[in-house]
Amino acid sequence: MIDNILTVDRLSVRFGAATVVDDVSFAVARGESFGLVGESGSGKSTILRTIMGLNQDWSGAIGVNGVPARGTGRSEFSRQVQMVFQDPYASLHPRHLVGNAIAEPMRIHRLDNVEGRTLDLLRLIGLSEDFAYRYPHELSGGQRQRIAIARALALSPKLLLLDEPTSALDVSIQAEILNLLNRLRSEMGLTFVIVSHNLAVISYICDRLMLLQNARHVETLTREQLRSRDLQQNYTREFVAASGS
Amino acid sequence: MTEPLVEVKNLRIAFPTEAGGWNETVRGVSFSLGREKLGIVGESGSGKSLSGRAILGVLPDHVRIEAETLAFDGIDLLTASSRQRRHLRGGRMGMVLQDPKFSLNPVMTAGEQIVEAIRIGDRRIGRTAARKTALEILESLHIRSPELVFNRYPHELSGGMGQRVMIGIMVVREPDLLIADEPTSALDVTVQMQVLSILDELVERRRMGLIFISHDLQLVSRFCDRVIVMYAGQIVETLDAKRLNEAQHPYTRGLLACLPEIDGPLTPLPVLDRQAAWSQTS
Repeated sequence: MIDNILTVDRLSVRFGAATVVDDVSFAVARGESFGLVGESGSGKSTILRTIMGLNQDWSGAIGVNGVPARGTGRSEFSRQVQMVFQDPYASLHPRHLVGNAIAEPMRIHRLDNVEGRTLDLLRLIGLSEDFAYRYPHELSGGQRQRIAIARALALSPKLLLLDEPTSALDVSIQAEILNLLNRLRSEMGLTFVIVSHNLAVISYICDRLMLLQNARHVETLTREQLRSRDLQQNYTREFVAASGS
Repeated sequence: MTEPLVEVKNLRIAFPTEAGGWNETVRGVSFSLGREKLGIVGESGSGKSLSGRAILGVLPDHVRIEAETLAFDGIDLLTASSRQRRHLRGGRMGMVLQDPKFSLNPVMTAGEQIVEAIRIGDRRIGRTAARKTALEILESLHIRSPELVFNRYPHELSGGMGQRVMIGIMVVREPDLLIADEPTSALDVTVQMQVLSILDELVERRRMGLIFISHDLQLVSRFCDRVIVMYAGQIVETLDAKRLNEAQHPYTRGLLACLPEIDGPLTPLPVLDRQAAWSQTS
């Protein structure tokens, strides 16, 4: 029996009349890194946002660590799963000190020793403790994304959802963040679901990936299948070819 | 060989600091451009976009621009009046920006914006004639139903379609020089290649000079003839695009090495080890 930390079963999401995710099912095993790939509008980010409870109008079933997404309180659910967004310039409050941004979820959940944990998290992501007293505008894009990752890890969730975590960054900084993510995953036993349009990034960091097109599932591949070009669908072949290799 | 289209010699751009000094962000950049495709590559803050904007003359007034030479087709841009430079922009120089969502006028249809560009250039062209030209240019951008796109507002267009409209606005006046600042970074990979091949076709057919600014070294080398690599406001290396693999400078090599590849190894990616010597003024 495979131990799945995330199960998404027959998920459909509607925005008004438009169906933006159409009957998509997948499961992610504990400790795995799973990629969602596709063009803009294919529904990949919407799936992540729906798992986080940021969309209301959906049908199907989502379970995280055995906890159903529907009917579970926000505070319980947020300890199971957290999300990192694409744009580190937009996802940190500009007038909150970085230390407060990291500490906030822990304060809401009334954890003890919040100060100490904040400094631990900063060290974990490779920044020195004095970063706690800086504002986001004093940080580079890569440093901000590290802070966003630290905040996502503050409640020690086992599942991390990452929406284009490196596409707003320079390639040199992208490499640093990808290395950091890989290290965190192996050290902390995390599970990742990563959305990206960059197949090279996905192939580097994910064990399996699912390709989406126009709200629908196209094909699910293991990294080995991708690398040996064991592709079944025409669209997958086109996508891999356009990704330039 | 004919006179170069753009001549830049020892360009320096500085911003005033709060303390009253100057913070120099472009520090002595020199290059010349013929009717060719030149790529400028570098990280954010390397000064690549500023250099492009200085040629176009769209930097804010408080910025200090100095150069030995800054010339476009024999016209000295340093002494040109703002009226003269306004005439060059749009007419003989065009610029394509990164994100069509932010650079198209949201309350005008795509077609009206192309017509506007045509008629600003020449008032004598009538509305009907301008409309016809606009439809032709949309068609040349491989848009299947130009009539339909003509009447759409920017928010009704996809990213790739919006970017084509922006390219249309810029090339309809047939400029001699096109500066494209990250023209495909906001687009999907599958659309990226389409937009690039359209750009390539236009540049080849109209014999324009193109400056292609991007952070993506691989993309630029596939598309351009020559590549300039910038670091901290200076040019560290100029390369023949076909000989990217022979790059000498450790910064260029570092940029190439830190990219993950679909079939690449799964070991930790090499990270740039920035050395102070790279940004020293020579």
